[in-house]
Amino acid sequence: MIELKNIEKYYSNKGVKNYVLRHVSTTIKKGEFVSIMGPSGAGKSTLLNILGMLEEPTYGTYEFLGEDVTTLNERKRIELYRNHIGFVFQAYHLIDEMTVYENIEAPLLYKKIGGSERTSRIANLLDRFNIVAKKDLFPNQLSGGQQQLVGIARALAAQPSVILADEPTGNLQSAQAEEIMQLFQKLNQEDGITIIQVTHSEKNATYGNRILHIADGVIKDDVQLTGAKAI
Amino acid sequence: MFKLNLKIAWRNLWKNKGYTFINVLGLSIGMASCILIFIFIRYEMSFDEGFKNEDRIFRITTNWTSPDGFEESQGVPKPAPAALRNDFKNQIEKVGAICQDGGIIKVKDDAGKEKIKTLEDIFYAEPEFFQIMSFEWLQGNPMQSLSQPNSVVLSKDMATRLFGDWNKAVGKIINYQNRDNFMVTGILQEMPQNSSFPLKIVVSYETFRKHPNERFDNWGNVSSNDECYFLLKDGVSIDEVRGALPKFSDKYFKRDNISKQEISAQSLGDIHYNENLGNFSSKTMSKKELYGLGIIGAFLMLTACINFINLATAQAVSRSKEVGVRKVMGSLRKQLVFQFLTETLTISVFAMLIACVLTEVALPGMRSLFQEEISFSIIQHPIIFVFMIGLVIVVSFLAGFYPAMVMSGFSPALAIKNKVTANAGGLSLRKVLVVVQFSITVVLIIGTLVVLKQMNYMREKPLGFNPSAIALVNVRNDSLSLIKYQILQDRISKIPGVLTTSFCRNPPSSSNNNETNFKYNGTEKANFQANTKIADENYFKTFGLTFVAGKAFSKSDTIKEVVVNETTLRKLNVVNFNDALGKKIKIFGKEGTLVGVVKDFNNLSLHEPISPIIITTIKDNYQNLAVKMDSKQIKSIMPQIEKIWNNTFPENYYRASFVDEDISQYYETERVMGVLFKVFAGIIIFISFIGLFGLISFVATQRTKEVAVRKVLGASTFELVKMLNGSFLLMVFIANLVAWPLAYLFVSKWLSTFTYRIDLSIWPFVLAMVISMLITLITVSLRSFKAARANTIDALKYE
Repeated sequence: MIELKNIEKYYSNKGVKNYVLRHVSTTIKKGEFVSIMGPSGAGKSTLLNILGMLEEPTYGTYEFLGEDVTTLNERKRIELYRNHIGFVFQAYHLIDEMTVYENIEAPLLYKKIGGSERTSRIANLLDRFNIVAKKDLFPNQLSGGQQQLVGIARALAAQPSVILADEPTGNLQSAQAEEIMQLFQKLNQEDGITIIQVTHSEKNATYGNRILHIADGVIKDDVQLTGAKAI
Repeated sequence: MFKLNLKIAWRNLWKNKGYTFINVLGLSIGMASCILIFIFIRYEMSFDEGFKNEDRIFRITTNWTSPDGFEESQGVPKPAPAALRNDFKNQIEKVGAICQDGGIIKVKDDAGKEKIKTLEDIFYAEPEFFQIMSFEWLQGNPMQSLSQPNSVVLSKDMATRLFGDWNKAVGKIINYQNRDNFMVTGILQEMPQNSSFPLKIVVSYETFRKHPNERFDNWGNVSSNDECYFLLKDGVSIDEVRGALPKFSDKYFKRDNISKQEISAQSLGDIHYNENLGNFSSKTMSKKELYGLGIIGAFLMLTACINFINLATAQAVSRSKEVGVRKVMGSLRKQLVFQFLTETLTISVFAMLIACVLTEVALPGMRSLFQEEISFSIIQHPIIFVFMIGLVIVVSFLAGFYPAMVMSGFSPALAIKNKVTANAGGLSLRKVLVVVQFSITVVLIIGTLVVLKQMNYMREKPLGFNPSAIALVNVRNDSLSLIKYQILQDRISKIPGVLTTSFCRNPPSSSNNNETNFKYNGTEKANFQANTKIADENYFKTFGLTFVAGKAFSKSDTIKEVVVNETTLRKLNVVNFNDALGKKIKIFGKEGTLVGVVKDFNNLSLHEPISPIIITTIKDNYQNLAVKMDSKQIKSIMPQIEKIWNNTFPENYYRASFVDEDISQYYETERVMGVLFKVFAGIIIFISFIGLFGLISFVATQRTKEVAVRKVLGASTFELVKMLNGSFLLMVFIANLVAWPLAYLFVSKWLSTFTYRIDLSIWPFVLAMVISMLITLITVSLRSFKAARANTIDALKYE
C-alpha cells in the first residue's frame, strides 16, 4: 500500500547539504504495524512527515495506494487525508476551543458525512474508548492519557486505512502508554488498520510486527517480529 | 458547518478577552464615526429631491467679471424673468420669479383684537413658480391662489400657528408691516428640513408689482432676494439655453470696458452644493466638504482595521497548531479562510451593535453641532441599514482577509511542531501598518493644532475697531419711525451704563454690504467700487474707530461730509492723506466733502482683505441703533432698551443682536471644522493607542522567555523596558516623518483660504511628534514594565 523508492531529503545551507534522509526505500503492506526507531535526529520524524505528505522529499518516489503522491495538489492530498490517513500526535493536538465531541466530529464535517451517520459514529467511538461521560469537556479538563484517547478517536472517526503516530506515548506515564499501545494493537489486529508509529521505546515497538531502525538518515535494519505480544 | 464555526469563533474570542475587547472597542468607535458621517452625508445629499421634472428645473443667476475678480449672485435683475419668458419661448416651458422679503406679520382674532405679532420671512411668488416646482397643495392651486394681488398662501405649520387650525385659515386676513392686508387663499404642505425652500408665507407676485417703491425695468440693480426659476421644455438640452445666454445678457446689460455682467443657468440639483451662490434657506454644503468628511471616516475605519490586522497576525502563531491539526484532518485552505472570516464577521457584527448605541449617544451632539435635524432611523431611511450591512462586510474582509490568508497558509508540518515563528505573521507588514496608522494620526493631530491656532488667532486679532458690548437694535426707516429716532436715542442714552449710541445701517464689520461706484475729486469714476457704511456722527466713537487724518463728520441727515479708510486713498494713489482732506467725493449722485481718514479696520471676515470704505450720513438709510454699553451692565440694560423700544414703536417688532456675536458667526464653518477635528483626532488617537497597547502586550508575551534569559544574564528592568519599547518608538518616529509633508500640504492649503492667517511654524509639527511619542512611550511602558518585572522562574520553568 505504501512504496518508498530511493527517498532523499536534505536542507541546503550556504551550499552545504545537510542530509536528513538518504536512499530510503521500503514497502509497507496493508495491515502492517510498523514502528520506526532510532536515536534523536536520525530522521524518524522527517520520514513520518513524508509518509504523511506533510513534507516533500527532495528526490525519490512515493506511491500511496499505487498512486504517485510526491507531486500531489492540495485538493487531492486533502482527499487522502479525509479518507485514508489518520494522524496521532505526541502532544495530542486537540483543538482547545472544541469539546471532546466536537474534536471527534471535526474530520467528519470536513468529510461531509451526514448528521445521523456522524452522531452514530461518534457515539460508537466514545463508547468504545469509554469516554462517553467526557464528551462535553474541553481538552484541558482531561488527563494526558484521556486526551490521547480522544486524539486516537478523532483519527479513527474518518475510518482511515492508515494511522500515522508520532511518538503517541511520548508525553504519557507508562500505565497510560501501555493502554494506548494495546489499543493500537487491537485496531491493527481486529480492524486491519495499518499503523506506522515513531517511537523511542523498545517496549512500544514490540506491540507491532515490524521495526525499521534508522540512523543518520539511513535504514540500518528492518526487523520482522513474529509472535507479537498477546493481547 | 457555519454554526459550528460561529461557536468556535465565539469560544476563541472569549478565550482572548483582552484582544477581543480592544478589537471590538476600536472597530465599534470607528464604525460609529462612519455611521454618523454617513447619516450626515445622506441628509445633506437629500436636499431638494423629489420634484417632478427635477432634471429640467433651473435657476438663473447673475455674475460679474471685473479686474477685481469674478463674483456671482443667486439674484437676478427684476425685469429678467419677463425677458427670459419672451426670448426663450422655444426652449423654456415656464419661468417663475420669486422674491424674499420679511417683516412684521400680525393676526387679529375674531373680536378684532391683535392676537399675534411676529417677525417672519415672506416670499412674493408668481403662480408659474409653483407650476415649475411641484410642491404639494392642501388647499387651493397656483393659478387660483396666487394670481390676484394681496392674496397669500400659507404652509400648513404656519397656518396652524397663526390661526390654530389650518383647515379654517383660508379666507382669513393677515397684516404685513402694518401696511398691507393679505387674504389667505391656499395652504401648502409644510416644507421638510432638507429643503432650500423654507416657504411658509407666500404672497402673490402681483402684490409686489403694485409696490410704489419697486421698479421692474431696472437692469442695473441686482438683489440676492430676487430669484428666478425656469422649466426647460421636454427634449431641449440645457446647453442650448446656456449657449444663448451670453447674447441675452449683451442685449439687456449695459456694457463697459472693464467689466462684464452675465446671466447664467444653474440646475436645481446644484443649489444646495454651490457655496458661491446662496439660497433662501441659507444652507449650503459643498460636495468637497462632504467628500472630505467621507475620507476622514474611511481613515478612521482604516486605523481600526489596522488594529485588527495587527492583533490578528500577532496572535496567528498561537493558533498555528489548530491550523496544522485541521489541515491534516482534511480541511481545505478555503475552509480555514472561511472559518477565520467567520470570526472576524462575529467581531464586526458585535462591534456594529455597540456602534449603533454609540451613534445614538453621539447624535444629539452632532445635531447641535450642525444645527440640523439629522435622524438615525433605519425604518425611515433603509439606506442607512444597507450602509451598516455593507460596513460590516467591508470591515470583515478588510480586517479579516489578510490574517486569514496568513494563518491558513501555515505549513502543517511546521505548525504542528510549533515551529511557526512570530515573523511568519508578517512582522514587517505589521510595522508598515503601524507606521501608516500613526501617520494618519499625526496628520490629524497637526491639522487639529493648526486649525485651533488659526481659530484662536481669528478670535484675538485686533480688527481695528472694538466690537464688544455693542448691541444693534433694529429700527425701521418708514417715515413714521424716522420721526421718532431722536426720542428713541435720547431715552436709550439716558439708561445708566449706556456709553454712546449711533444710528447706522451696518456695523464696521458685517455680512450685509453695499458696494457702489464713486467719483473722487471731480475726476473720472474710480476704477473700483467702495463699500459704503451709512452712519451718523457718533459711529466712530461708538465703535472705537481711530483717525489717521482729519476728523469725524458733523451731524447731517443727508450726504454732506464723508470719511474714508486708508485703503480707499491708497487705491486712489493718494500718498499723503492730509492732501485728500477737503476734496469732493460724489456718491449716490450727491457730492460730499472728505473730512477724515480712518485707520483700516477689518470690515469682512478674515478670509477677505480689507475693502475700500466710504462712510457718510443718510438718515433714511439707517437700519440699526448701535448701543455701546458698560460690559458689566449688559444684562440689566438690554431689558430696559427693549421696553423703551416697544413703547416708542408699539406697532413694530423688537429685534436686537450683538456685534461680536455676529462677527463670530462668520467663522461658524471653521468652528464646526475645529470641533470635528478635535473629535476625530481624539478618536483616532484612542484607536491607534489601544492598538499599540494590544501589540505591545503581544510582543511582551512573545518575548517573555527572552526577557527572562536576559534578566538571568544581568539586564536591568530599565534596559529591558528600553529594549521592548525601542521598535515602537522608532515606528512612531518614522510615522511622524511620513506625516509631516502630508500634513504640511494639507494645512498650508487650508490656511491659504484666509487672507489673515497665522504663519505656519514648525511648532505644531514638533508638538504633534512630542505628543505622539509621549503617548506611545506611556502606553508601551505600561505593559513592557510589567513584562520586565515578571518573575524569571515562571517564564523559564516550563521549557
